[in-house]
Amino acid sequence: MKTTAEILEALNGIFRHVLKNESLNLTETTTAHDVDGWDSLTNMLLISEVEKAFGVRFNFREIVKMKNVGDLCAAIANKMKP
Amino acid sequence: MIHIEANRRHLLATIRTAALRHAERPALVIEEKIYTYAQLFRQVAVICRRLEGYAGNVVGVTGENALETYASLLAAWFTGKAYVILHPDYPAERNRQIVGQAGIELVLYARQDILPDDLSLPRCCTAEGATADEGCPDLPPDTFLADTTAYIIFTSGSTGTPKGVPISHANLDAFYAAYRSLGWKLNENDRLLQMFELTFDVSVVSFFYPLTLGACVYTVPQEGMKYLQVLDLMERHRLTFAAVAPSVLRLARPYFHELSFPDLRYLVVTAEASDADLLEAFRPCIPHAEIINLYGPTEATIYCTRYTVPAHGCKQHNGMVAIGKTFAGMKAVIVGEDGQPLPTDTTGELWLSGPQLMTGYWQQPELTAQCFVRRDGRLYYRTGDLCRHDADGDLIYCGRKDNQVKIQGFRIELGEIEHCAKEFYAHRCNAVVLALQGEGGCELHLVVEHAPEDTAALMQHLQSRLPAYMLPKRIHFLPVFPLNKSNKTDRPRIRQLIG
Repeated sequence: MKTTAEILEALNGIFRHVLKNESLNLTETTTAHDVDGWDSLTNMLLISEVEKAFGVRFNFREIVKMKNVGDLCAAIANKMKP
Repeated sequence: MIHIEANRRHLLATIRTAALRHAERPALVIEEKIYTYAQLFRQVAVICRRLEGYAGNVVGVTGENALETYASLLAAWFTGKAYVILHPDYPAERNRQIVGQAGIELVLYARQDILPDDLSLPRCCTAEGATADEGCPDLPPDTFLADTTAYIIFTSGSTGTPKGVPISHANLDAFYAAYRSLGWKLNENDRLLQMFELTFDVSVVSFFYPLTLGACVYTVPQEGMKYLQVLDLMERHRLTFAAVAPSVLRLARPYFHELSFPDLRYLVVTAEASDADLLEAFRPCIPHAEIINLYGPTEATIYCTRYTVPAHGCKQHNGMVAIGKTFAGMKAVIVGEDGQPLPTDTTGELWLSGPQLMTGYWQQPELTAQCFVRRDGRLYYRTGDLCRHDADGDLIYCGRKDNQVKIQGFRIELGEIEHCAKEFYAHRCNAVVLALQGEGGCELHLVVEHAPEDTAALMQHLQSRLPAYMLPKRIHFLPVFPLNKSNKTDRPRIRQLIG
């Protein structure tokens, strides 16, 4: 079981890599609007990298509901529950 | 003032009649908030009053997702002014350029004043001030309106100066007459999608056509992921009509098995060439919908050809869906390099003629002269698109003319190489071929929308299907393709990214 802080740190790494921005610092309230390059296209890529890294799979409804990074963390934590 | 409401073919008059008849019905749903026709037109009336004192012919409107924005577009028309959209996402310099080029002397905005501070120009916040209980504004005289420009769309020109496409009310009325005769079975109970940026002309029909019916328009929030927003809106509000760019479907492809839109009756695909295979994969999600491909250059008012995509035996070329037959009143000819008409089944450039055609680019007579040809007493617009007529008289779309190159004397259609690469990936990803100037002349670069991987198997596939002169010199991978503001694959940007 990972804590939110651990998930957030892992997400930071994925986002930095995919968006090619090493200075990125995600918080739970970060939205796509706050991050340069986080758009419809890179979102697809981010989701698939997150799925790979955490060994989870999101359905369409779950992805639609994610409004910020905190929602993404919660969705990951929820999927990883034993 | 002459009232022309009896003339039902007149677009603005039809909208006004519908607004009065359906006053208490929903006209717009924006960010989950419902606005009735009465509310929309009260706002239109207020903005009309503000515009009465404005002497200019062209008014700038900031492209926002707000009631006041849509009301501003209608108010411009009701006061006989053309609107030009300035976009919050455009660089300040581009907005400044458009303001100067179009001769804009007043800008209307709802929430965001996006113009640079040093640009001394009157700006008017439409969200402030009285929303008096004014009724529907009167129409300008019919004769005045016909020659009046309704909107000017600025697109990027190859010279770096944006080119303006002015569309008149006469063009718009001709479009409307042809569009409504396509036989849509829609009425005031229908719910229709408006997903396009207001800088792109498909937004015009997505917004005004539902208003002629007394139906309801659902707009897409600007925040967040557009493809998710579009499909979410379609599903939750059980939309019955949606015009979308194929890119929306392409991005959602991994989730098709989870998606279902049983209420949808029409799916229009537009803005760029549609992938026949993609539509086939999406069809089970929309069991009660007709799929219609609508094509048209901005210069010929939104759309001017229609092809209904059959469940089986879709006509296509290199995987791209056919564009079908021209709208009533429009004429299409296919011509060769020498400008002479070509026989059936022979590919050439598509020239269009008819009442939907603009009369010329905004203040660019030389560009206009390049793109228009007078032949047998008719004025034709050279689309730069390659097509052929088949034996049934359907137009088969074969790609952009500038997507055709000559290498070692061979004429090569880049679309064919792209199709072959997509085939290798079972049409699960997009591919673009660019002809770049290399040391040894023109070189072909294949760019695949995929994570980087070994190219041996792909190359083998291409070699087994294409002649040697069509094989790419290099293969690049981009995990996702960039899109431009019109939701089309951004080829110039891809060129930069691989450069």
